[in-house]
Amino acid sequence: MDEHWSKVISELQNFRPGPNRECEYYHCHYDGQDCSLCFCPLYPCLDPRLGGMVVSKRGTEVWSCESCYWNHRGEVAKELAKRIAPTATRPPRSELERAKKEVEALHPVSAMPIMILGATSGAGKSLLVAALCRLFSDMGFNVAPFKSQNMSLNSMVTPQGGEISRAQALQAVAARTEPDHHMNPILLKPKKDDVSQVIVEGKPYRDMDVKTYYGEFTLGEGTEIVKRAWEFLKKTRDVVVIEGAGSPAEINILDRDIANMKAAEIAQAPCLLVVNMEWGGAFAYAYGTVDLLPPEKRRMIKGIILNNMHGDASCLDEGIKELESRLGIPVLGVVPHVEHFLPDEDSQDLAKEKGSGELRVGVIMLPRIANFTDLDALALEGVKVVYVKEVRSLEGVDAVIIPGTKNTVADLRWLHEKGLFEAIRSLRGKVPILGICGGYQMLGKEVIDLNGVEGDEGASWEGLGLLDVTTNFEFYEKRTTQVTGRLADGSGEVRGYEIHMGQSESRESPLFYLKENGSEKAEGAVSPDGMVMGSYVHGLFDLPAFRSAFLSKIPHRESRDECPQDYDRSVEEGLDALASVVGSSLDMNRLLTILREGL
Amino acid sequence: MGRIMVMGTSSGAGKTTIAALLCRHFALQGLRVAPFKASNLSLNSFVTSKGEEIGVSQAYQAWACGREPEGDMNPILLKPKGGGVCQIVLDGRPYIDVGRGGKTVERERLMGAVIAAYQRLMERNDVVVIEGSGSPAEINLRREDIANMATAEMAQAPVVLVGDIERGGVFAAIHGTYSLLEPRHRQLVKAYLINRFRGDASILGEGIRRLTDLTGLPCLGVMPFANLRFPSEDSLDLARGQGKGMSGADVRQGWLDNLDRLYWTSREHIDYGKIDRIALG
Repeated sequence: MDEHWSKVISELQNFRPGPNRECEYYHCHYDGQDCSLCFCPLYPCLDPRLGGMVVSKRGTEVWSCESCYWNHRGEVAKELAKRIAPTATRPPRSELERAKKEVEALHPVSAMPIMILGATSGAGKSLLVAALCRLFSDMGFNVAPFKSQNMSLNSMVTPQGGEISRAQALQAVAARTEPDHHMNPILLKPKKDDVSQVIVEGKPYRDMDVKTYYGEFTLGEGTEIVKRAWEFLKKTRDVVVIEGAGSPAEINILDRDIANMKAAEIAQAPCLLVVNMEWGGAFAYAYGTVDLLPPEKRRMIKGIILNNMHGDASCLDEGIKELESRLGIPVLGVVPHVEHFLPDEDSQDLAKEKGSGELRVGVIMLPRIANFTDLDALALEGVKVVYVKEVRSLEGVDAVIIPGTKNTVADLRWLHEKGLFEAIRSLRGKVPILGICGGYQMLGKEVIDLNGVEGDEGASWEGLGLLDVTTNFEFYEKRTTQVTGRLADGSGEVRGYEIHMGQSESRESPLFYLKENGSEKAEGAVSPDGMVMGSYVHGLFDLPAFRSAFLSKIPHRESRDECPQDYDRSVEEGLDALASVVGSSLDMNRLLTILREGL
Repeated sequence: MGRIMVMGTSSGAGKTTIAALLCRHFALQGLRVAPFKASNLSLNSFVTSKGEEIGVSQAYQAWACGREPEGDMNPILLKPKGGGVCQIVLDGRPYIDVGRGGKTVERERLMGAVIAAYQRLMERNDVVVIEGSGSPAEINLRREDIANMATAEMAQAPVVLVGDIERGGVFAAIHGTYSLLEPRHRQLVKAYLINRFRGDASILGEGIRRLTDLTGLPCLGVMPFANLRFPSEDSLDLARGQGKGMSGADVRQGWLDNLDRLYWTSREHIDYGKIDRIALG
């Protein structure tokens, strides 16, 4: 009697997709696994890519698929169940093999990687990866983005509570999947000068300077971390779109760089090189980048993409032909400049004013400004976001926002140096003032850092005193969590995430009530006159309710006058529009061949 | 007669500032110096005492040389008028509108003006500091080139390539630009310079050695990041209205003071002895 097959029959008859978190063995393969085919109909498949022989307790050799994730992927389980009938007796092996083969053609055992490298930072890698994620997802693939190492102060929190770069989170949205820390296993958050906080697999690891990072970390631990993340993505996805960092041809750190060719090598990914046309010299950047790579790495570059072209691309033909023949690498297309509304990642873009409305919101441009993507949603309201570095730029603003910072203490000192400390205080009661995260901490009366967690010297610092709030940096400890809740005035929902060191104690009314462990927790602070607000919630403007509540505090502004736009929907639309431009500009057949052929 | 030409691996690489520093450097030695840029694409122009219209950065470079701007310093100025139409200002006077469905102009006519202006400048000066335009390695535009290698070849000027490290990929940019030049042009390139660096330059050592091995070009230095704004060329300042570019009463003097400060800083980072040998022989 085939005991195993009878279990298979019952699970095929009561097919229950998704993880079974109640099971005492959950998660026996990986967190998030699909448990519908706990007993695999293919067992023992004897496919060396999925398992191997081990010696059992009884001393006999048995097939083990402990390390197999394939049939625990939701889409694979579903497709297998479609093809294998719960017949009374086990079907012949050939039939099972055929089913396996058919499903493999849709969802390969090992993900097909493709990597986007840039000739410079700002070449357009992130958005191109997002566009490809969307295009591959449209084709029915299970897609994930991957960037081994990212340097950014714009991070977000995954559903599992891990911190990753906001760019990978956006790419996950483009791929129609949940963001998780495997997509960005190393995140560097610049703290001061050459020092960054290193986030590993979603959790703060330690602070490192450039020399330690490249001298000790990348080749040892760093490489292992990248391998781990890749192995996971490889086993759980059909296609992984990998993003490089900066240029892969920095010949001063070539052998210690794990964000570019090393990652490509680990994943065995064919690479495409993107060059920004906007600044000129694109052909030289492309040629120089490829030519500076050692020959074995050069062979991994399978295509070139000319990005961000203003005007007519036909004048490039001659140059493209010469570049292709000199390098022996095809140019896959010229992507035109696209006006888009998608969250910014690169701080270089900060200087651009956003939005075009009559209302001007002054955002204090702190030297260590973080999570400035919080403000993108404001542009939806027809608000003009202006960046304030000097007192005179504050003149005539209708509202003030102090954003997050990587270093509250240092940036508080900067406010004093610039005279902005007094200037902001003088606007009390006249225009709404909002502090987010570090900005919230600054709005309080005092920032206590006796252990020097933020600055080098342990001390207590006077805040702007606009809210009756005290912040204490007692421990080197960080709160990273996604939150949902409602506005305290009952006018709607809020959704976002918290990422901060330090705890604040408020004696003001709360701004939000957030859901926590089945009850509600007060969060943030609002002054008695309602004009000064502070909160730790990043992304607080994403849903329309708080945007509208904040802007309605502006004197003479009629509240809730326009039909508020949904930020999520506009991101979706932006991604679709971007993907459509990229898809029609590139030779997609060639790109798919590159993807399928691999290295 | 001395001459030296500054070319960039992209626009915004810092050509204008580096050329201004070289102007200052030669002027401080008591030499009679003039800036020269064959062709400028800009809506920001300056009018000389004789009523000639030239690009504003050549005007500033002239002041850096301790003299008044002249029309010969920028014989061609292209002013985009929108809709693909461009006004060509030739020898300081509006010449013709070209573009979309309209007229074209013969390259020889323009090149002729460039040669004549350059020769007049050479006759009256000890050194001419020439600035290129955009990147000299736009291989799709080789035949149309006036302001880069065509000017260098005409003047037989030794060329310094400036690469911008701020966006990364600077080694690739310099190597690529040099490699894509035609051999007869490549031999005019004498050195390179890395511009706009932030941080500890010692980490670049190995890269510079490798690049020099590959190209045979010496590195003139690594210039730290500096923000020497050419007031009315800065579109950001323009967008923000007037009077915000610089504090103090006289914008021009303020800029010159900044340039002087930058020059003395740059002496710690740039090998001016090598520049003298390249430019003055």
